[in-house]
Amino acid sequence: MNSLMIKALAFAVVLILATVVVVKGMNIDLSDPVNMITIFGAIAIAIITAGVAAKYVNQMKTDKSTGELADESWDGIGEYKNELPSGWAYSFLGTIIWALWYWLAGYPLNAYSQIGEYNEETKAYNAKFEATFANPDKATLTAMGESVFLVQCAPCHGETADGLSGKAQDLTTRMSKEQILDVIEKGSNQLAYPMGAMPPMLAQGADAEAIATYVAGGMQGTAPAAFATCVACHGADGKGNNGAAPNIVEYDDAVVSHVLQNGKKGAIGAMPSFKTRLTPVQEKALSTYLQTL
Amino acid sequence: MFHWLEKNPFFFAVGVFVVIAFAGLIEILPNFAEASRPVAGLKPYTVLELAGKNVYKKDNCIACHSQLIRPFKSETDRYGQYSLSGEYAYDRPFLWGSKRTGPDLHRVGNYRTTDWHENHMMDPKSVVPQSIMPAYKHMFTNLADIDTAYAEALTVKKVFATPYDAPNGTPLGTHDEAKAAALEEAKAIAADMKNQGVKDAVANGQIPEIVAIIAYMNRLK
Repeated sequence: MNSLMIKALAFAVVLILATVVVVKGMNIDLSDPVNMITIFGAIAIAIITAGVAAKYVNQMKTDKSTGELADESWDGIGEYKNELPSGWAYSFLGTIIWALWYWLAGYPLNAYSQIGEYNEETKAYNAKFEATFANPDKATLTAMGESVFLVQCAPCHGETADGLSGKAQDLTTRMSKEQILDVIEKGSNQLAYPMGAMPPMLAQGADAEAIATYVAGGMQGTAPAAFATCVACHGADGKGNNGAAPNIVEYDDAVVSHVLQNGKKGAIGAMPSFKTRLTPVQEKALSTYLQTL
Repeated sequence: MFHWLEKNPFFFAVGVFVVIAFAGLIEILPNFAEASRPVAGLKPYTVLELAGKNVYKKDNCIACHSQLIRPFKSETDRYGQYSLSGEYAYDRPFLWGSKRTGPDLHRVGNYRTTDWHENHMMDPKSVVPQSIMPAYKHMFTNLADIDTAYAEALTVKKVFATPYDAPNGTPLGTHDEAKAAALEEAKAIAADMKNQGVKDAVANGQIPEIVAIIAYMNRLK
């Protein structure tokens, strides 16, 4: 055993002793196997460090270079014609194979796309939304309707849905007398109900006044004779014959949905269509919320 | 074999640069050229809309409003479909903005109307009580600069071949024709407005800034 090996062993022993001292000092619980494994690891590292250091120091002391010199000489510095170490050669071949895979499959199939992430996020959200709200009860719908209303509707209709003193439809009541007179005068073909367009001027003058007063008043008392014209489509109770024509006494699911889908331009101003901006469940929720107002 | 190259480091460096630059160009340019083409159905701004766009720039709306909807669920729920590069093909310059003190406006034409803008510009708090946006009452009396807008449209038509006067495109025509067309467009907007001063001005052949900016807002879809 030469002196180098003895020095290396001594170095390893010092490292191991230092480890033991530190472990004692830190009062580590050695009954825990994880701590024992860590200590064995530390000892192994100390031995390997000393062994590898000894090997290379020894090599530097004793090795002589051998082999055939290359023809080139750069400012007197020559180069041996050594074979490429096999480890290098295999890693080089490995990177070429990896590059081919990355070029043809790795990058094209796994590349990150912001739109792709958005599509996945939306799909996952929609699936979760549908699962959660498959059969919502009335309280859930009302709460959802209120939050949809505050985001999508409140900027025009106001937070209390009162239409901000005539700037938009007052959603706490159905229609004012002026609005009814306006729609009787101009007719309406905006909401895509099965009954189709309402022609203009079905009633005029005093008849129109009477109808407007009666409908705006919530259809209390006896209907005026002229209201017979309206009954044909809107029904005697004004509820629109089960969705064939708009309900003119109160907001129901059908009227809310038709207005959201088609938008509307009336006596007050225009409302844009909210097509594709709300899901059917959200529309139903909005209608449920409006009916509680 | 390549010792001659190693002996000429300058030309070697130039060669390396050319090879890498070429690879960069063929990767980046085709994609860039494709994405910046106008999306299907996109038309150049009318003269009145351009005048409104200039009001938008002049009053520095961009300081508080962006015009770029990012592809996040939270944004598309509120503002609509995310923005595409091709939608800004005729924006010179585009007004993406980088600050949202107020909401994004890239698709405001889908969910706000002429009468809402009229109320809002006159007194934002009348429609949104918590709003911190200032009122823009001067827009109701200042007149929009139609001549500058026409000059801009004509310039981009001649210099960048923006498709004005193309089939199914936006008509531009001569200066007088463009002014008459802008007035017609303004009349249609003023018909939906309630402010008597604005209605009178448009009837007299003048176009207040509010009409131009509403035309621009309604166009943003």
